Amino acid sequence: MFRLPMVPRVLKQLFNKPATNPFPARHLPKSITRFLEKVAAGKAELVLPLEVPEGFRGKIGYNPEGCTACSLCARVCPANAIEVNREEKTVTVYAGHCIQCGQCTEVCPKNNLFMTKEFLTATTDRYSEEMVLT
Amino acid sequence: MKESVVSAKKPIKTVIGPIHPALKEPIKFIFEIDGEKVIKVDLAPGHNHRGLEWMATRRNAVQTLYVSERICGICSISHSIAYCRAIEQAADIEVPVRADYLRTIFAEMERIHSHLLWAGVAALELGFDTLFYKAWEVREDLMDLLEYLTGNRVNYGVLQIGGVRRDITPDQHARINKSLLNYTILFDELYDMFLEDTVLRMRCRDTGVLTPEDALKLCTVGPVIRASGIATDVRQDFPYCAYGDLDIKAITPEALAGEVHGDVFDRIIVRLLEVKQSIEIIQQSMKKMPIGPLTNFPKLMVLLNHIKQAEGEGIGRHEAPRGEVFHYIRLAANQESPLVWKVKASTYSNAMSWVKMLEGEQIADIPIIVASVDPCISCTDRVAMVDKGRTSIFTQDDLRRLSRKKTERIRQGLK
Amino acid sequence: MTEIFLKLIIGVVSMTALGIVGGFIIQGVDRKLAALMQARIGPLLRQPWWDFLKLMRKENVVPEHAVPWVYNAAPIMAFASVITIFLYLPFAGFNPLMEGYGDLILIMYLLAMPALAMVFGGFASGSPYATIGAQREMVTMIGYELPLGAIVISFAWKMAQSGLAHPFSLKTIAANPIWNLVGPFGIIGFILLLLAMIVVTPAELSKGPFDAPEAKSELAEGLLVEYSGRNLAMFYLALGAKMIAMLGLTVALFFPYTISQYFQVDTTVKIVIEVLFYIIKIFLVMFVSVTLMRVSMARFRITQIVEIYWKLGGTMTFLGLFLIMLDGKL
Repeated sequence: MFRLPMVPRVLKQLFNKPATNPFPARHLPKSITRFLEKVAAGKAELVLPLEVPEGFRGKIGYNPEGCTACSLCARVCPANAIEVNREEKTVTVYAGHCIQCGQCTEVCPKNNLFMTKEFLTATTDRYSEEMVLT
Repeated sequence: MKESVVSAKKPIKTVIGPIHPALKEPIKFIFEIDGEKVIKVDLAPGHNHRGLEWMATRRNAVQTLYVSERICGICSISHSIAYCRAIEQAADIEVPVRADYLRTIFAEMERIHSHLLWAGVAALELGFDTLFYKAWEVREDLMDLLEYLTGNRVNYGVLQIGGVRRDITPDQHARINKSLLNYTILFDELYDMFLEDTVLRMRCRDTGVLTPEDALKLCTVGPVIRASGIATDVRQDFPYCAYGDLDIKAITPEALAGEVHGDVFDRIIVRLLEVKQSIEIIQQSMKKMPIGPLTNFPKLMVLLNHIKQAEGEGIGRHEAPRGEVFHYIRLAANQESPLVWKVKASTYSNAMSWVKMLEGEQIADIPIIVASVDPCISCTDRVAMVDKGRTSIFTQDDLRRLSRKKTERIRQGLK
Repeated sequence: MTEIFLKLIIGVVSMTALGIVGGFIIQGVDRKLAALMQARIGPLLRQPWWDFLKLMRKENVVPEHAVPWVYNAAPIMAFASVITIFLYLPFAGFNPLMEGYGDLILIMYLLAMPALAMVFGGFASGSPYATIGAQREMVTMIGYELPLGAIVISFAWKMAQSGLAHPFSLKTIAANPIWNLVGPFGIIGFILLLLAMIVVTPAELSKGPFDAPEAKSELAEGLLVEYSGRNLAMFYLALGAKMIAMLGLTVALFFPYTISQYFQVDTTVKIVIEVLFYIIKIFLVMFVSVTLMRVSMARFRITQIVEIYWKLGGTMTFLGLFLIMLDGKL
């Protein structure tokens, strides 16, 4: 017998909601920056991305207070994204190189390194101010 | 695309790849075709060598774990399980039982999402976009579950040498059970959409047949050999992690149809049934999982020092969604990085079966036959031959001579 | 004589405009509906227009191995032949522009022209993918001409048997809706023919599941693989217009009904009602024969396409023809 199990499904789907989450807008705006300016001015509405769960490993965060530059984090970092500054007793984390494995946050004895929930980190300059944490 | 020669007698020579819409990763196929029929097949991999094994020799064991995860985006748990088991064998590290169960659960979740991803890709190669969207929509729930449990959608970073990094806490059980229940329902729908569709059956039945003899001769692994009717599965034959305690039987298409064709359709059947099997394995493991520590080395530096002192070699095998992966590690005393790290991905074993499957088939079936192996080219490309800018063809004897030389060097500690 | 030429010039200009605009709209609707059925949001309705604009701005590449004049002429030939069909098709209850100069047989041949142009263009591209695509297109044409021809013959036979003059003329067919002429056997026969027509439509328009000549995942767009810029834009225009022509033919053959006679309003409003009704009919036929077909099936192999058209299509149309004849004899 000739069976097409897809036909009833697509006909049903025609009247259902699409599965897409229309982030950041329903249709791609011509310019994202101009769209964001409009959102800031309250003229357009931004569709938010889906919530990330608890324990999500986003962009890395670093708090230099109390850091002893023990270099444990640099030793386990697979991407060699952490540079130890022995004199200043701090480390420099290059978030553009970071692969977000979260190994350094577990090994840090003072909990100065942590994973944030931020994931929209695309940039044209991986050494820009927000991508190099000191 | 190279030049083609069209004449009455000579078959057309067509090149598909390295970049082509039918291929998700770069590999080159050289076909001789007569009309719509494929006469001769030759393949040329080696466009995607990344030198990961070399990277490992400049990193310590923990750093290399994350390199091993990135061998393949889909089998990231599979490669890290094999890598961890190789290191654990070499350095004599005991893994707690709970960690073994957790590894099993994550590995099976990965199998479900990998098979669903493959199902979508296969539908796309058949020109069935709707089914592709549907399969990936179904897969999304599991990706969310993995993100919830491990903190990331791909490259989960959840394994550690000697154990695992994250536990499944009792309050997470409800979310997992919800997803598993959802998948038991969705499985019936997928079954209906893939196996009951006449057009799909017309395209896949008796296409790309691989006989059991050829499957054995070419040492194929995973769903490819099982679809040819040979019930081999590392999880069943050489149990590891928690698989020894669980009820696992290698799946062949006989389980459903009672007969084996060894064609593309059988590969769909095997993968779909494995999705169901994985759901059952996760349910079993959740019940049987004992309470206990996650690792015997809570301090990473202790672990690193232990591995630094250790000397010896180890192998790790794991039944990845695409077939067996195999890792070899050699550790030298007082050296942080492994001396040798050798990775054999599943597609490496399956690649030559393409020649047998493709010969005599139609051009229209090339994409689906190539996809039916579930190839992962980036996993496979381990070598790039560069000889003063020229690449040359190596015969079996040349390769044997080269590999003996390398083994000799490894024996002497890579001096 | 001058009147004819004037009529022709006005007709060609207006039909070109109709073909371009209508082609954009119908392609937009088709893409949107397909997207909704696949649980996507899909593009805006004006996306085909933007695609066209973008293609027009792109560089027009002629490959080294191509035969330039055939390669460049093929898109124009495809578009021109589709516009010619428009001159012979009745729209929204109006008589065709060139009424009396051509009939159903001419339309059948004109429908083959754009496909032939694509075959020429494919062979002239000098690429193996395009060559295979062109070969497949020819095989597909051989496949679907059989059921299409049988459908045309059935209509003409019924018209002639009913004692109407000019049985091949679309004016006759449009004026006498086929369902009113036949008995119960004939209705079953024409339903079979309608089903065959629905199966032929996607192949005529190179849409899935009969899009083996273009097969994205196999041949990387097959016979269009080397085309770019202006030439490709021209092919898109031709395909959009051909979609209207093909659907218009189905509507003219099977659903030539008009509704304006039921309304007591003046002529302008009647025309508006008629046009709207015609658009609805076109979209309904499009939904079933193009959109639903391409989202609910996997692509057929070229051998399977021929098998389907000759075995299934042939059996269906000849059975239909037999039932219609039986009905006529009763």
